[in-house]
Amino acid sequence: MTTTPDPATAAQAVFVESAEHAGPGEAPEPQQQGKQKSHGQFADMWRRFRRNRLAMAGLVVVVILIVLALLQPVISPYDPYDQNLLNTLASPGGDHLMGTDALGRDLFSGLLYGLRLALLVGLLTMLGSMTLGVTLGALAGYRGKIADGLVMRTTDIFLAFPFLIGAILVVRTFGTGVFQVIIALVILGWPTAARLMRGQILALRESEYVEAARSIGASDWRIVTRHILPNAIQPVFIYSFTSIGVAVVAMASLAYLGVGVPPDTPEWGRMINMGIEQVQVAGKDFLWMFPSAAICLTTLVFAFVADGLRDSLDPKLR
Amino acid sequence: MGKFVIRRLAQAVMVVIAATILLFIGLFVLGDPFASSGDKVVPPETQAILREKFGMDQSLPMQYLTYLGNLVTGDLGIDLNQRRPVADMIGAALPNTARLALIAIIIDVIIGVVAGIIAAVWRYSFWDVLVTIITTLAIGVPTFVIGVWLRQTVSGVWIFPQVPRSFTELAPWYTEVLLPAVTLAIVDAAFIARLMRGSMLEVLRMDYIRTARAKGLGERTVIMKHAFRNSIIPVVTYVGISIGILLGGAIITETLFQYNGVGYLLYRSILQNNNPVIMAIVTFAVLIYVLLSMIVDILYAYLDPRIRLS
Repeated sequence: MTTTPDPATAAQAVFVESAEHAGPGEAPEPQQQGKQKSHGQFADMWRRFRRNRLAMAGLVVVVILIVLALLQPVISPYDPYDQNLLNTLASPGGDHLMGTDALGRDLFSGLLYGLRLALLVGLLTMLGSMTLGVTLGALAGYRGKIADGLVMRTTDIFLAFPFLIGAILVVRTFGTGVFQVIIALVILGWPTAARLMRGQILALRESEYVEAARSIGASDWRIVTRHILPNAIQPVFIYSFTSIGVAVVAMASLAYLGVGVPPDTPEWGRMINMGIEQVQVAGKDFLWMFPSAAICLTTLVFAFVADGLRDSLDPKLR
Repeated sequence: MGKFVIRRLAQAVMVVIAATILLFIGLFVLGDPFASSGDKVVPPETQAILREKFGMDQSLPMQYLTYLGNLVTGDLGIDLNQRRPVADMIGAALPNTARLALIAIIIDVIIGVVAGIIAAVWRYSFWDVLVTIITTLAIGVPTFVIGVWLRQTVSGVWIFPQVPRSFTELAPWYTEVLLPAVTLAIVDAAFIARLMRGSMLEVLRMDYIRTARAKGLGERTVIMKHAFRNSIIPVVTYVGISIGILLGGAIITETLFQYNGVGYLLYRSILQNNNPVIMAIVTFAVLIYVLLSMIVDILYAYLDPRIRLS
């Protein structure tokens, strides 16, 4: 009995040993010279990003917008669908912070609801098209040959349609609704991400360190996920922020044209349509000014963040 | 080179065929233009007559092949609403769209190139910072929003016709085209300014610019003759593709300003489920895009032998 080692101490010994081998960041590392500390690439990016005031301001507003969208059910002063035909087209101020529309619905509540919708569509579209695009782009770039031809010709076909017109046709085929809009934007959006990803992979596939990994017998899966993707992902990561803005505008444009969401939805494009097409009463400019300003603010802050990320990726580009 | 051109051409034809099949499925298989919808009730007998009249009673592959065959001969079919030849409708709208595209391009090339050169030549000056700020804003603000604001604030003022306007009110084309053209030009001008600035800065670092200065040429000659000509190439590529996209119809801008171009026609056809018109316009947009990207690829291959051989 006494000769068998205690399993707990053995495990501890292994743990201590591994900790000694691969020391965490705090442990002094003799190989590194001077004050240079090693960072992950995203930590590095973040350090440079923080110095960019415009990008930081953009990020702060993005966070505020997300919080507002999440808190919408709590802070919305009225139900955005609630009509009050006795109080239509009320000017901003008083009971209604931003006035009421032609059906007497509170505009501020509608804007908040629209923000929730816009961010939901923006984020889900981004996630959908990035997942699809990165997977297929990586497959095409790494596998080459048939996979590459198949994926690239498919992107050719989808890219041949003008973005908005393609989205309209898809929504028209599958019917109106937020979910259908997201599907349409993903279908039209993934080829751009796939091409971006493929280009990155192609550049890295023949690099020496990938060859080294291959020569020591690493599997394809390991090479792609551990060696290529981390180095190829940055431009895609940046593009994902741009694509959120693109999706927000596309959704508003679809809704403005009357093909996206149901007509009574409090959505920014619908609100603009109501403000400039249906209501033509002098002095009621707030009806289209507030929602268009909301679209503008949302896309601008996402563009600022994307710009900041691009600059933090490569400071030489400026 | 010949082999590359043939391969690229075959690829373009395949893309067009696949895209039109997709379009055909979306429009005619998954959607029925004659079905009753809302308060519009169409009896089944009428639907059958209409289907026969427009050749939609035939098998789908047959319909598709007929469509392709007609397309090649320039017959785009008859519209479902007023029984006009679709080719005539597009023929009436296309000159307006071409005019809009051309004027937008002229505006954005002039503004973009001048702003880009100024920003590059006087790098880090007040003007450079100004150009950077304005281009960042112009690219961030969506065209849709720019259009809405221009329409609501400027239309009806001075020479700009009121939007929306009544059918009886006619305006000369050059006043009608200005606001949509400016709307379309703003974003492109910003992109061109950025492109121009970047490529000019690169060229200005070249040895031959130093040589030109060293042999005593005036700064104006160096910039306009040597640097400008060599840095305009990316702008030319961008403008070529931009024209193609604009010719396919700027649906949002044309609709906003009720401008009688291909985009507005497409919008109205979509509202009326006028499938032959939608089919024709989108096919046209696809054709232009595929053709232009093919030309760009072939030009690049011609200029850079490495692309041809890959």
